[in-house]
Amino acid sequence: MSETTLLALFEDIDPAADAIEKLHEMGVTDEQINVISGVPVMERMLGRPLQWTNVSRIALGGAVAGFLFGAFLNWGTPMLYNVPVGGQSTFPVPPGLILLFEMTMLFMLLATFLGVFLESYFPNYRPLEYVPEVSDGKIAIFFKCPQDEQEKFIEALSESGAESIGPAEARQL
Amino acid sequence: MAVSSKYFPWAKKAQETHHNDHDPRQHLMLDPKPRGEMNQMVMESMYTTSWKFWVVFGILSILVALCFFYAWGYMIAEGLGVAGVNRPSFWGIFLVNTVFWIGISHAGTFISAILRVFKSEFRRPFTRAAELMTTFGLIQAGASIFMHLGRVWLAYWLFPYPNERQLWPNFHSPLMWDLLAITTYVLGSTMYLFLPLIPDLAMARDRSTGWRKTFFKTIALGFRGTEGEWTHLRTAMNIFAFAIIPVMFSVHTIVSWDFVMATRPGWSSTVFGPYFVIGALHSGMGAVAIVLFIMRATMKHMDYFIRAEHFEAIGKLMLIISMGWAYFFFNDYIVQWYGGDKWTDTLLHWHESGPMSWMFFTMLIVNIAVPWLILWNKKWRSTPWLLASVGLLINVGMWFERYIIIPVSLTINRMPFTWKLYFPRIEIFLTIGTFSMFLLFYMIASRLIPLVPVWEVQEGQMAHSMRKVGKTQVPSVSEFE
Repeated sequence: MSETTLLALFEDIDPAADAIEKLHEMGVTDEQINVISGVPVMERMLGRPLQWTNVSRIALGGAVAGFLFGAFLNWGTPMLYNVPVGGQSTFPVPPGLILLFEMTMLFMLLATFLGVFLESYFPNYRPLEYVPEVSDGKIAIFFKCPQDEQEKFIEALSESGAESIGPAEARQL
Repeated sequence: MAVSSKYFPWAKKAQETHHNDHDPRQHLMLDPKPRGEMNQMVMESMYTTSWKFWVVFGILSILVALCFFYAWGYMIAEGLGVAGVNRPSFWGIFLVNTVFWIGISHAGTFISAILRVFKSEFRRPFTRAAELMTTFGLIQAGASIFMHLGRVWLAYWLFPYPNERQLWPNFHSPLMWDLLAITTYVLGSTMYLFLPLIPDLAMARDRSTGWRKTFFKTIALGFRGTEGEWTHLRTAMNIFAFAIIPVMFSVHTIVSWDFVMATRPGWSSTVFGPYFVIGALHSGMGAVAIVLFIMRATMKHMDYFIRAEHFEAIGKLMLIISMGWAYFFFNDYIVQWYGGDKWTDTLLHWHESGPMSWMFFTMLIVNIAVPWLILWNKKWRSTPWLLASVGLLINVGMWFERYIIIPVSLTINRMPFTWKLYFPRIEIFLTIGTFSMFLLFYMIASRLIPLVPVWEVQEGQMAHSMRKVGKTQVPSVSEFE
C-alpha cells in the first residue's frame, strides 16, 4: 500500500490541536506527524510529545572543554615557559580563576551555537516540505497516510478547520 | 470616608488620565495585528529608502574613509608620534573610546538577556536593535585597542606560539584577561544576535526576490520552523541568556582591572569593577534610547512597534541606573577623598579645579542632575525626543567620565616633574571615524536584516490578554514556557 504526505494549513493553534487529535484517532502516530510554525508553539498546546534536544548536553561538553583549555593556559603554559611576575607564584590561583571562567564560558557558548546547527541539521538547502504561509503565522501539519484513504483524511481535517489541505510538496527554500 | 471626584475636581481629571493610561491599545502586546501584516510592515521598513538615507549614508561613508581608514593608515605609516599620547599620559582617547564602546555594548546584553531572563515583556520589539549595538560597539572597541597598539601588525604577539624570540604572553596580566574577555563577549554576543534572527531571516527569505532572496536563503540556513528547530533554538537562547550575563559583567570588570591593578593615584579603588559596570549600563541604556528614537523617526511603520510605553520603560531603567551610578561614583570618591593620600588629594583637586574641571562638573550634571530632573516624570520620559536627548547627554557625560579617569587622571602622578596635560591630536579624527562607522553599520543593518524580531512580538501578543478584575480590565500574561 503506497503512502502519500498531506499538508494541512491552520490559522490558529486550537484547530491545529483538534486536527492532531483527530489524526491520532484515525491511527496516525506522532512519529508520522510533523508540525511547522512561524512562532514557537509549545508541544503540550498541540498535544504532541516533548521534543528531545541535545543542545544543553553539547553546551555542557563545551564548558568542560573550555575549562580544560583554560587550565592548560593557566597551568600548562607556565610549565612550557615561565614568565616571572613580581611576588606571584608560577601558578597563582586568583588570576587563574579569571582565565578558567572566560574559557569555560567561551567554549560553552560556542558549543551551544554549534549544537543548534548540529541538532537542526543547519545549513540545509535541500528541498523540504514547506509553505511560505507558515512565516505569516499559520501552522502547517504534514503527515503520512495511505494513498487510498487520502480523501477520508482531507475531509476530517477540513472539519477541524484546516484552511487548505493538499499533497505536501518538497520545495527549494 | 471615600474620596469623591465631586469634592475634588482634580481627582476626576486624574481618574480620566488613569483610564487613558490603561487603554489596552496603547500597548503593543495588546494591540495585535495579523502576522502577515506585521511581516509586511517590517519588510517595507527595510526596503523603503529615501534620498535622505543616501545623503546621510554618503556623508558617513566619507567620514569613515577619511577619519577612520585614512587617519589610521597615516598613523600606522608615521607612527604613534602623530597622536597626542606622551609622557605621562600614554593612555589617551584610544582607551577612552575602548572603554566607552564596551560600555555601549552592555546595553544589548542587558536588554536582551537580563530582561529575557526576567520575562520583561516590553523588551520584545527592540531586543535586536539593542543586540546590534553590542556587536557594533564591540567592533569599535576592538578597533580602538588596535589603534592604541600602534604597531598593529604585531597584534599576533598576544597569542601563545613557539617563536625564536621567546616572546610569550603573560596570562596573569590584566591586559591578557582583557583580550580573552572581549573575545568571549564579541563571539558570544554575535552568536546571541544571530540565533533569534534565524526565524526572521526565514520570513524575509519567503518575501524576497533577486539577490535579496539568495542572501536571506543563505543565512536563514534552511530554517522552516519545525518543532525540533524551535526546541533547539529555545534551549540555546535560554543558555545564552543566562550565560552571557556573567560574561557581560566580567568584561567591564576586567576593563576596570586594567586600571585598578596599577598603583596610580585615583585608580587604586576596590569599587571600580561595579562602578564600571553600572557606568556601562548608564551609557548603554542612553544609547538604546537614541537608537530607538532614530528608528521610530526615520523608518517606516516603526511607530507601531516602538511606542511611548517602551520609552517609558527605558526611561525608568535609565533613572534607576543613574541613581546606581551616582551611588558608585560617590563611593569611589568619598573613600579616596577620606584616605588623605597626598597624591590622590592633589588629583581630586585637579579634577575639581584644574583646566578640565568643566568636564568634571558637566559629567556630574548630565549623568545625575539631568536624568533625575527629567526622568521622574512619566510624561516626560515617555516623550521619545526628550528621552533620546537625555540619552545623548548621558553618553556625553559617560565619555567625559572615561576621559577624566584616563588621560586627565594620568596627568597627576607621584613624579611632579612629569606632569603634563594631554591634548589629543589625530585621536580626534579617529574618534569621529569610530562614531561614524558605528552609525554606518546600523544604517547598513537596517537595510539588510529585520530590525524588529517579528516572531518574538507575535509570541508576546499571543501570550497577552485582558482579564476582568472587579470592575476593571487588566492586562494579563500567560506563561507559555
